[in-house]
Amino acid sequence: MTTTIASEREDHIIAWFAALAIAIHVLESAIPSPIPGIKIGLANVVTIVVLVNFGWRTAAWVSLLRVLIGSLVIGSFLSPTFVLSLSGACASLCVIGIAYALARQHLSVMGYSVLAAVAHILTQFWVAYLLFIPHDALFHLLPILVTVAIITGIVNGSLALAIQKRLKLLIYEP
Amino acid sequence: MTRVDLLIMIIAVAALPLLYLQLWGPNYRGTEVNIIVADQKPQRHSLLRDQTLAIKGKLGDSIITINNGKAAFIESPCRNKQCIHSGWHSRNGDTTACLPNRITLSVVGDGIARFDSVTF
Repeated sequence: MTTTIASEREDHIIAWFAALAIAIHVLESAIPSPIPGIKIGLANVVTIVVLVNFGWRTAAWVSLLRVLIGSLVIGSFLSPTFVLSLSGACASLCVIGIAYALARQHLSVMGYSVLAAVAHILTQFWVAYLLFIPHDALFHLLPILVTVAIITGIVNGSLALAIQKRLKLLIYEP
Repeated sequence: MTRVDLLIMIIAVAALPLLYLQLWGPNYRGTEVNIIVADQKPQRHSLLRDQTLAIKGKLGDSIITINNGKAAFIESPCRNKQCIHSGWHSRNGDTTACLPNRITLSVVGDGIARFDSVTF
């Protein structure tokens, strides 16, 4: 007896984009960071583009698979880095999920990117403070981290905007 | 890009100065300084009262001054004087140490930290 698991179009989309996001995630981990904890998070561009084109469910799959498999590839699975990464991804997904449900018509990739970046860093900071470094001095870092998050959110948003433009050309031009 | 996008960006950027003001501003000043010498009970001194303390460590006396809500090592018998070069400390959580003389100084505020950090 053989069982076959039918894969649907959505599964293929998830697999393709998750693979792309994982590749970006792993490549980016090779870039040294000027300050620990600061990272552009280019893989999130993929999440945002998928969100706008294929909906929240697909974006959530892509994002969580990226965190899980990315950590396995890099070797940080279940380490503090992974916990921070996962908590940040979950928070971002929650926030962009709410924004997507409430104001889909009024938002573009830029808005989602900035919202996700800020949600990401605030949650990571909170988790880091609760679990790993419960020291008041950590709060001195928060303004810097949020500043960088807003900048990276805007940078990623601009990249996603550029990608959206090309995608539209691809789809709508004969 | 849409108007809501722009609104989100403006709100995010506008909230930043508030965050800086809140966490880097005067509200976050510490109230006391906690001085720990190896194998001794920690001693607490208010940051509000200006004073100069001679703390006896392993090598000799380190002079710590509290002035205008800030504390600093101003003299120490150690070789590298890292503790002196670290300057004034006034914010909740600021910490410096003279390891050769076995003295650490940390500024504490209203919250009490249970651990300095947890590593894996």
